[in-house]
Amino acid sequence: MKLLVCIKQVPDMESRFRPNSQGIWFDENDLAWRMNEYDEYAVEQAVQLREQVGDSAELTVLSIGPDRVVEAIKKSLAMGCDRAVHIRDDHAATKDPWQIASIIAAYAKGQGFDLIFTGMQSQDRGSAQVGVTLAEELGYACATTLVGFAYGDGTVTAKRELEGGIKGVVKLATPALVTCQLGLNVPRYPTLPNIMKAKKKEIEVIAVADLLTEQPLTATTSFHPPARKGGGVVLEGDVGVLVEQLVGILKDKTAVLR
Amino acid sequence: MFLELTEEQKLIQDTARVFARAELEPVAATLDQSDDRTPMLANLKRLAELGFMGLNVRDTYGGAEAGVIAFSVAMTEIARACASTAVTVSVNNMACEVIQAIGSEEQKRAYIPKICSGEFAAASFALTETCAGSDPSGMVTTATDDGDAWVLNGSKIFITSAPYAGVFVVWAVTNKEAPKGKGISCFLVEGGTSGLLVGKEERKMGQHASATNELVFDNCRIPKSALMGKLNDGFRTAVAELAGGRIGIGSLGLGVGLAAMDHATRYVTERSQFGQKISSFQAIQWKIADSYTELEAARLLLMNAAFRKEQGKPFSKEASMAKMFATEAANRACYQALQMLGGYGYTRDFPLERYARDVRVTSIYEGTNEIQRVIIAREILRNFA
Amino acid sequence: MKTLLIGEYREGKLLDTTYELFGFARQLGAETAMLLVGSASQLPACSGPLYLADASQCGEYSPDLHKQLILDAVQKENPDYIVFIHSSYGWDLAPRVATRLKAAQVSEVIGLSNNAFEVGCCNAKMRRTVKPATGKAVITIQAGAFPVLQPGGTPQVQTVTATAAGNLTFVGYEPAEAKDVDLAKAEVIVTAGRGVGKKENVPVIQALAKALGGELGASRPVVDAGWVEHSHQVGTTGQSVSPKLYIACGVSGAIQHLAGMKKSDFIVAINKDKDAPIGEIADVLVVADVLQFVPALTAKVSA
Ligand SMILES: Cc1cc2nc3c(=O)[nH]c(=O)nc-3n(C[C@H](O)[C@H](O)[C@H](O)COP(=O)(O)OP(=O)(O)OC[C@H]3O[C@@H](n4cnc5c(N)ncnc54)[C@H](O)[C@@H]3O)c2cc1C
Ligand SMILES: Cc1cc2nc3c(=O)[nH]c(=O)nc-3n(C[C@H](O)[C@H](O)[C@H](O)COP(=O)(O)OP(=O)(O)OC[C@H]3O[C@@H](n4cnc5c(N)ncnc54)[C@H](O)[C@@H]3O)c2cc1C
Repeated sequence: MKLLVCIKQVPDMESRFRPNSQGIWFDENDLAWRMNEYDEYAVEQAVQLREQVGDSAELTVLSIGPDRVVEAIKKSLAMGCDRAVHIRDDHAATKDPWQIASIIAAYAKGQGFDLIFTGMQSQDRGSAQVGVTLAEELGYACATTLVGFAYGDGTVTAKRELEGGIKGVVKLATPALVTCQLGLNVPRYPTLPNIMKAKKKEIEVIAVADLLTEQPLTATTSFHPPARKGGGVVLEGDVGVLVEQLVGILKDKTAVLR
Repeated sequence: MFLELTEEQKLIQDTARVFARAELEPVAATLDQSDDRTPMLANLKRLAELGFMGLNVRDTYGGAEAGVIAFSVAMTEIARACASTAVTVSVNNMACEVIQAIGSEEQKRAYIPKICSGEFAAASFALTETCAGSDPSGMVTTATDDGDAWVLNGSKIFITSAPYAGVFVVWAVTNKEAPKGKGISCFLVEGGTSGLLVGKEERKMGQHASATNELVFDNCRIPKSALMGKLNDGFRTAVAELAGGRIGIGSLGLGVGLAAMDHATRYVTERSQFGQKISSFQAIQWKIADSYTELEAARLLLMNAAFRKEQGKPFSKEASMAKMFATEAANRACYQALQMLGGYGYTRDFPLERYARDVRVTSIYEGTNEIQRVIIAREILRNFA
Repeated sequence: MKTLLIGEYREGKLLDTTYELFGFARQLGAETAMLLVGSASQLPACSGPLYLADASQCGEYSPDLHKQLILDAVQKENPDYIVFIHSSYGWDLAPRVATRLKAAQVSEVIGLSNNAFEVGCCNAKMRRTVKPATGKAVITIQAGAFPVLQPGGTPQVQTVTATAAGNLTFVGYEPAEAKDVDLAKAEVIVTAGRGVGKKENVPVIQALAKALGGELGASRPVVDAGWVEHSHQVGTTGQSVSPKLYIACGVSGAIQHLAGMKKSDFIVAINKDKDAPIGEIADVLVVADVLQFVPALTAKVSA
């Protein structure tokens, strides 16, 4: 059984984001990078399936980006992926989801992956497109926003998370692609021996130019902070004073405190 | 010259940081105040399962084979969250490394995997005695050859992890007649051996969750095979291994110092007096500038010592410099950080007072900083003599 | 300009969010046609063409079939924009349609800015302006970002159907977990976000809720981490609430959270980050550490 998990490296979301010199994405200097949170669940689920199936399964992790993404790749290898593909692209951030999905599709086509895992979206761009678009390009069955996953006899039983806490249960025949939602499982910590052993696992490097044939379908024309709508009061300062101020406002504006 | 961590080292640092934030930091204050060590022992087990007890230990014995730099950065991250957990991890690593360095193949296979896997909650390093602190060669605990066994008599003091250690690395005098330091041997004593008594626990200023106990040997019989390394050659080993341990303690100090400064720096950007953020006062800014600069210098000294050890180069002077400087920088950082919080820093509602108590001992154990200076000066003067 | 709006229908009901699609089209100044897999007994109140497929035949969730229905309608209508709600239905279906049409897709649009779309990014901390580069474009709009608009009138219904192709079968719905609290009835909700730091701090937030005679709410990461039960979760995948007073402690203000609480009468946010997006909708943003501020507030309120 051939498994693929696609991951993205994103900045720590607690960072302060500043527009880059072209003003169309963030300035990458001084950012700390980590694996997209949604993708951690995807990797964990793929590794669990890899363990369930045993040695007849092979799990490949794929990431597109500059050399820094190797750290996220190595984390996936340490978590239990067997091999990796690094599609080297110093300008991955300027590609739109259509191009990213097409690059992966160009790689995956004809490789016979039975099951592909992705996160439901990235934390930085948040388009929620790459997984579904990839499935569509490959002609795979696809379910999004998984909070439950089981596999047996060529069939995936997936629980999709719907609004209001309801879940939709679906069955997919392989080949299939699933996009993973937060809370799907409990992503493991990579163990130190596995981090070291992952060094010996293969990382195939492919230049993005070898796979990219598509032009972007969208253009980002600006990246900026949200306009402050104003209206709300911002209180800052000493805790003791803040409490007095807030209680004053609550007494004034709500019926809750008198 | 390349001053970046490798990807593996970064991943280990990251794993330590994420684990420490999620699992260690939430219980650190409670552990400091209570006598119940259950949460720490549970976390030690999980740290062992992740591979943190044998960072510089070979894979064959269950170690991570991750090296000394990885050990240093992991210690710093763990200590940022909980210094008591960190010192236990450091001593466990040191015990593994001594056994790996001088133990027989049987001894390595018998003990290292149990420390690495967490089957043993901890391991202890029993050198200090009441009359032999900075000068361990003055120890009086004896090991006597009794045909099929060694018999230990005497006592040790300040032994980290003693109540829950599965194995003790113990130094004792095997030849009273020999010149100072030439008649000491090293032994492996299993926890629970009859005649090995864990004595009273010290009531300390900080690092409360880490037990520090007296150890009494009362006709404690251990098999002949418990001798580790060459007879009467144990003191040299102790000195050599302490040098590695110093990298651990320096890194631990650095972690506490950084935790304190990070907390205080965040605080001063929120606290206002005289109608402005106190971070706008130059007096506060200088504390920030000085402390972070010193901590960064400490980090580089530690990296240098760790790098040299990893490369198989002499590192004892560098380890002493790093331990001394890092633990003193960390003590100053904790002092300044507490000061930056004013009266709040002195209360238990904030972790600063704990950091200040926890960091204090780092300039004392594994060789006081006076002893570090003795070592450094000796090494330097040797080249001038 | 013409839009093809994709209505939403679930568990036998036309979803109200469908009317936000009309709100969006109005802002765009576009004509509307709609495709709905639903029921003839629950038609949206609108005029213009309505391509109606019967959900009992076509399934409420059957993405390959629904995709085909949309592609058929696109052929007939030749719209500039095909518009979905950014929901578990919309984000699932939109990229399939866009790929088939090789059309640009812009996800989770929150506003318009001359010929381009505003979308959130970086966990709602930042915005992007995005322009489609294709003649037709697929758009998903953020739930709640555009006004609900009931255009009124009677649609010109054309019943449509298609045959399923694909390897996915819908098995059924699983109801939301039983609730041990009814947040909807609470007058005051004090919510713990990831900023409370750890499970051990949840009681600090709970104490304030109690002092105010209210209930404890939680953001999703707090629930996922097991600090608080799911029944306390506020947001799109939790409960929607509108208490008299909502106090968000260490909540950043992601849209999925805001969707569940922005109708509250009065919103207070406590966050150490002055720039946290929750500040956008809060009546009062207190810039402070929750662990310092909340106990002090509780003490004051209880006194
Ligand atoms: C919490 C804690 C945990 C410990 N854990 C362990 C452990 O696990 N295993 C273990 O074996 N030991 C352990 N120790 C012991 C520790 O290593 C010793 O306390 C330390 O080496 C100092 O010895 P001492 O306390 O006897 O002080 P002393 O040696 O009596 O020193 C007193 C003072 O004299 C100074 N001094 C001594 N000699 C000189 C000199 N030549 N030049 C200048 N100044 C000098 C010292 O620097 C110090 O300031 C621990 C101690 C503590 C507090
Ligand atoms: C399909 C989907 C459905 C979702 N459904 C929901 C849902 O129903 N409900 C929901 O809540 N989320 C939901 N989410 C998740 C949502 O996107 C956010 O990830 C989540 O709301 C963030 O929770 P948070 O604000 O608690 O955490 P974070 O975004 O991590 O924010 C923590 C905040 O706390 C502040 N902070 C940190 N420490 C302190 C301190 N000591 N004092 C004061 N402030 C501090 C930080 O500045 C930050 O602003 C959903 C996501 C998806 C994709």
